[in-house]
Amino acid sequence: MTTKSSLLKILEKSSRKGLGRGNLGVLVARAGVGKTACLVHIAMDKLLRNEKLVHVSLQDSPEKVTSYYNVIFSELVKALSLTNPSDIKAQIEKNRMILAYLNQSFDLRRLRENLRNLSEKVGFVPDTLIVDGLDFSKAGLEMFEGLKKLAQDFQVEIWFSALSKATPDDSKTQGIPAPADKFHSFFSMVIELQPTQSAVELRLLKDHESATLLDEKVLLDPKTFLARG
Amino acid sequence: MAQDIHLLRNIGISAHIDAGKTTLTERVLYYTKRIHAVHEVKGKDGVGATMDSMELEKERGITIQSAATHCEWKGHTVNIIDTPGHVDFTIEVERALRVLDGSVLVLCAVGGVQSQSITVDRQMNRYKVPRLAFINKCDRSGASPYRVVDQLRQRLNHNAVLMEIPIGLEAEFKGIIDLVSMQAVYFEGAYGETLVTGEIPSHLRSEAKARREELLDAASMFSDELMEAIFEDQVTDELIQKAVRKGTLLRQLTPVFLGSAYKNIGVQPLLDGVNQYLPSPGEVENRAMDLEADGAEVTLAPDPEAPLVALAFKLEVTPYGQLTYLRVYQGSLRKGAELLNTRNRKRIKVGRLVMMHASEMEDTQQAEAGDIVALFGVDCFSGDTFTDGTVNYAMTSMRVPEPVISLAITPKDNKSSTQMSKAIHRFVREDPTFRSRVDQESGETIISGMGELHLEIYVERMRREFSAEVETGMPQVAYREAVSRKADFNYTHKKQTGGAGQYGRVAGFMEPSEDQGYEFVNAVRGGAIPTEFIPAVEKGFQACLEKGLLLGFPILGMRITINDGNSHSVDSSELAFRQAAMGAFRQAYMSAKPLLLEPIMKVAVECPSDFQGGVMASISQRRGMITSSAEDGVFTTVEAEVPLAEMFGYATTLRSLTQGKAEFTMEFSKYQKVPDSIAEELKKTFADRLKGGKK
Repeated sequence: MTTKSSLLKILEKSSRKGLGRGNLGVLVARAGVGKTACLVHIAMDKLLRNEKLVHVSLQDSPEKVTSYYNVIFSELVKALSLTNPSDIKAQIEKNRMILAYLNQSFDLRRLRENLRNLSEKVGFVPDTLIVDGLDFSKAGLEMFEGLKKLAQDFQVEIWFSALSKATPDDSKTQGIPAPADKFHSFFSMVIELQPTQSAVELRLLKDHESATLLDEKVLLDPKTFLARG
Repeated sequence: MAQDIHLLRNIGISAHIDAGKTTLTERVLYYTKRIHAVHEVKGKDGVGATMDSMELEKERGITIQSAATHCEWKGHTVNIIDTPGHVDFTIEVERALRVLDGSVLVLCAVGGVQSQSITVDRQMNRYKVPRLAFINKCDRSGASPYRVVDQLRQRLNHNAVLMEIPIGLEAEFKGIIDLVSMQAVYFEGAYGETLVTGEIPSHLRSEAKARREELLDAASMFSDELMEAIFEDQVTDELIQKAVRKGTLLRQLTPVFLGSAYKNIGVQPLLDGVNQYLPSPGEVENRAMDLEADGAEVTLAPDPEAPLVALAFKLEVTPYGQLTYLRVYQGSLRKGAELLNTRNRKRIKVGRLVMMHASEMEDTQQAEAGDIVALFGVDCFSGDTFTDGTVNYAMTSMRVPEPVISLAITPKDNKSSTQMSKAIHRFVREDPTFRSRVDQESGETIISGMGELHLEIYVERMRREFSAEVETGMPQVAYREAVSRKADFNYTHKKQTGGAGQYGRVAGFMEPSEDQGYEFVNAVRGGAIPTEFIPAVEKGFQACLEKGLLLGFPILGMRITINDGNSHSVDSSELAFRQAAMGAFRQAYMSAKPLLLEPIMKVAVECPSDFQGGVMASISQRRGMITSSAEDGVFTTVEAEVPLAEMFGYATTLRSLTQGKAEFTMEFSKYQKVPDSIAEELKKTFADRLKGGKK
């Protein structure tokens, strides 16, 4: 089962129909547009396909992350008229692991060790990592080098959220807003979220090596983050 | 106790075990002149802190029962409910929270926000209790109050704001800087009873200024007046206090105080904070159910002239008889007045009315809305609602969790047997999570509760308070049964052997229901079963739910629908239909493929981050499902859902695994299907036991 009506549409239409193992992807938006909600939608799609996922949160406690999932799940139940919601929820919970690093305690060495513990001690081998709350303005190149290596070593795809600054179009590197633009070479996919008056607009800014970008925009309902129409 | 309701505070002091709340309470009582000497929790002087009045509590150094006490501070009356810190006594905490208007969350400056604080905080959210935080033990080595404030923000999602900063820390901790008055405060005298204010030490001036800015920023969100005053540089203490109070009452701001109760630093400013920022009973909305109007919710008015509504929230046995603690929500209560218990419609007369100060008491003539008092010689259960008879209200019930663990107990001799019964009779009234029954097969008395420690404490109390010596068996998990599919029944109960005959036919089906309760649907048309016998049919089914036919455990989550039947003009009776229902149940139950359910606990283990792998493995080995792991500095909290059956002895495992550096809490989460292989084993074990018992 998939949540086809969500922002996953744009991924499906991309050149490789998604991000792919060993790759990094990022959702870029200004504050308050709904990066976390979009990340959770990506996560939810993976979970509903019975894939395993680790949600790495650098700001919110596990309780808060769980409540994000719960809210979005209940929206999906309504929107997709899912039957047996309690069984599906149990499956989601079984396939999802939340790793939180509070008070700036995030470092790559710990993440690596935690992932190793999960696979060796618990038998939990993720397919996808969601990393929410990483401060791109403070991160250095070595951080993304490390994350790229981690994605390859653990054979996972990693989705990030990045807060963007208001930058004039001409100063953007390859159309990607700062500060994520500094790291564009590490990302295989870059998606921008922009609020319009009545919806949230999704645009693909980078699609693997593909030079021709999808021209189509996807409009999301700002409340449910499900695609319109 | 008639006085201005705005000068009354009903507060709780809740915290992680060993955060020092009993010491803090002790100091509060000392400064408010309720006691005249200070004792420590594990007192070398053999007296013990005043709030822990049970002998056992004194010995273990932990507070088990919430004793209510009252004191006065700067013209305000403050009722303090001391709450237990161990999660096994959660119902005590819940009960205390039910009657509180505000609370002080005590945190250790070294340990910070620990798993227990998270549990307690969650409970406070449920009861919408505004709170202050007090970061205690700032004199301890490793104290880091700023880190604790960050944890309050991140782990508990509080908009925490410092009202004070420390002057020195650890062994150098000397006093505090009040960020409202911008003065240094020192605590002098043998027990810090004399406050000396002075200038802010020069090396702390810039820090104090920066932290005050943070305070003003946070507070100004709740007051335009303060916001304007900041721009015009006209900020007054009163403006800040008003804004902080508003934010606190909205539960959108948590003012943070700090100190060291043990070293007598910072307690009086905290008391000022209680008066200043926590609500009076007049500012809190309380609701009750109107039993005359089908349980419709009504808002209670904290008005002494309105009809009386009071809640019995705690029972206690004293050498003088049973003491019932009441919180008056509406109206007034006078000595000699008549009260109606709305649960059993019994009327009682108020004999002695007292205000409690831990185990000492003072007589009083009257109590009004907002007050907490105790009555003598009243026969009731904890949780009963009392009115003056003019209204028929019940305070909305507290969330009472189902017991998850049981223990067989056998008295050692005849005398103990009588005493044990007395003790159980008493405990059941005091604590709704403590249950008792006699097992029909083995004849043993089975007590059930919320955890190993919970039951241990009661067995210990039997020994000490009732001189009942008992032997205990192995703790048993409270399994449940549930059907997994629909099954039809059509059963005729017929008996015609001499005397009046019995006849009744019941048809319909049973099926799983979504929630875990019992539902009865009457879809009988055309009087196939006469209306007067329907309640008997329902009762018949209900009786069967107490004991499933799979392994004899109570049944959860079942919907029974009856849609047909038959009666006889002479031979049908309530008894006949009750029997028919029971027969129908037996007929269909096994076809409805019953499953065995086990209690799943939400477990949180807190350990130094290096032990994360080991802890995860230990949970995984126990059939646990890890849900999250949160790192914060050098500590990691692993959260998981684990079957209770696998949690026995986990404390010992964890201790050896982490060199005693980890701790865990658990609370009941839900019932879940037992995996087939384990269910098979259990069936065998219970079958063997049954055979053994019958021999």
